[in-house]
Amino acid sequence: MASSGSGYDLSSSTFSPDGRIFQVEYASKAVENAGTALGLKCSNGVVLCVEKPLLNKMLLPSSSRRIHTIDSHSGVAITGFVSDGRQMVNRAREECSNYEETYGTKIPSKVLGERLASYVHYFTLHGSLRPFGTSALVASYDPETKQHSLQMVEPSGVAYTYYGCAAGKGRQPARTELEKLDVHKPETSIDVREGVKQLARIIHLLHEEGKDKPFELEMSWVCEESNWEHKGVPRDYIKEAVEWAKKDIEEEEEFESDEDEEMED
Amino acid sequence: MSRDSNYDHHISIFSPQGRLYQMEYAFKAASSSSGQTAVSLRGANSCAFVTQKKVPDRLMDPSSITHIFSITPKIGCLATGMIADCKAQVQRMRYEAADFQFKYGYPIPVRVLAKRIADIAQVNTQSASMRPLATVCILIGVDDEKGPQVFKVDCAGHFLPFFGTASGAKEQEAVNYLEKRVGDMKGYDKDQTVRTAIMCLGSVLGSDFRGSEIEVGYVEGKNGRFTVLTEEEIDAHLNAIADADA
Repeated sequence: MASSGSGYDLSSSTFSPDGRIFQVEYASKAVENAGTALGLKCSNGVVLCVEKPLLNKMLLPSSSRRIHTIDSHSGVAITGFVSDGRQMVNRAREECSNYEETYGTKIPSKVLGERLASYVHYFTLHGSLRPFGTSALVASYDPETKQHSLQMVEPSGVAYTYYGCAAGKGRQPARTELEKLDVHKPETSIDVREGVKQLARIIHLLHEEGKDKPFELEMSWVCEESNWEHKGVPRDYIKEAVEWAKKDIEEEEEFESDEDEEMED
Repeated sequence: MSRDSNYDHHISIFSPQGRLYQMEYAFKAASSSSGQTAVSLRGANSCAFVTQKKVPDRLMDPSSITHIFSITPKIGCLATGMIADCKAQVQRMRYEAADFQFKYGYPIPVRVLAKRIADIAQVNTQSASMRPLATVCILIGVDDEKGPQVFKVDCAGHFLPFFGTASGAKEQEAVNYLEKRVGDMKGYDKDQTVRTAIMCLGSVLGSDFRGSEIEVGYVEGKNGRFTVLTEEEIDAHLNAIADADA
């Protein structure tokens, strides 16, 4: 059992003795080192959010975006290797415009997700190519069925539809927080404005002040309010949400430390 | 390349003992790694398959997690193994089926599709650039001339027709269960076919199911369409099985 790779990890076209493809697993590790990206399917829309670390004080904050519009009704948030992400975004845009040219209608969400997934999967088949080091969160609205959906495409080419998903450094604690929101039950599904606040809260909760670099929060949504078009969440609303988030986190910390004091007595 | 005597583990070339290691590893990836088992059998004029439905995470939409795909309205496919490879295989099958219909003007028979996709899978075992797809596909359909058909196509490009077969982690146990009933299978109607598949899966996994934990597909009759059972229909079958046992 060569679980450390040792020779079976040199190319995408090699299986290990226990049936794993190490190159694909390493590509997933590349995503795990990058900023957290979150997606949330709300009752009336989908919200995407990416924590973009500000690597250099001289950088213009709004440059090198992580969230991109693919078509009027869909957007993609990427995390991992940003340059690989750009390739995925370009391909997604081509798929959208080709579909519309061929079939005369906007690409359905499921088809967009599947096409992107099968493109990413192709790079895990050939020895001469390497897998993408990015995960893409696809938020999309289908004008025919009037359904909105959230999908995530991983470096292995696997794509599933989600109520809430997370990728990147903080994905494990983020998933726990998302599960607490109970979004998988239609009765407890939340509104997009609430969703924006909750995602801002999760990002701030996971961000450790001294340890991690300062970051910029990129958020976008596809919802009733934006007329089902993929748009950035208005900046003043993001600011409001972040303020709410910080206050909420502080209050919780005080509550917890109060609880501790009571228990000590 | 390293001078390691195991260099034949990297690409599709023969080992000194005459084995193809990469293909064997692909089988491992297709069968044991996913932990899934699939069972399929055919009756008098219907065929069915069943597998577990595991939703790893509450945040995932369960409807997007499936290993059952329809290739044409009359042919269904159950693909076990690495899901991304399964989907790529299914895409190719759909293309081949549509291309056949376009060229020859009639729907592709199951055995022709199975042979075609098996030939395509074999190419990957002989070329260095592409790896075999880690998936085992079970195709079902009712042929105009030959009646219900169950074909299994694997990573190496083998394909064979079966009365009953299984793939995945508990393949051997499932096949043993089916072998005991192979004589009776020829007379099974659709309900018996579906229920035997479900009972076989239950017996090898050693547990009872609920309707949401398995997925079932079948084709009945020459004019039948490939159908995937809803949760209610699965529950109805499970209840009938429980009543019959009681």
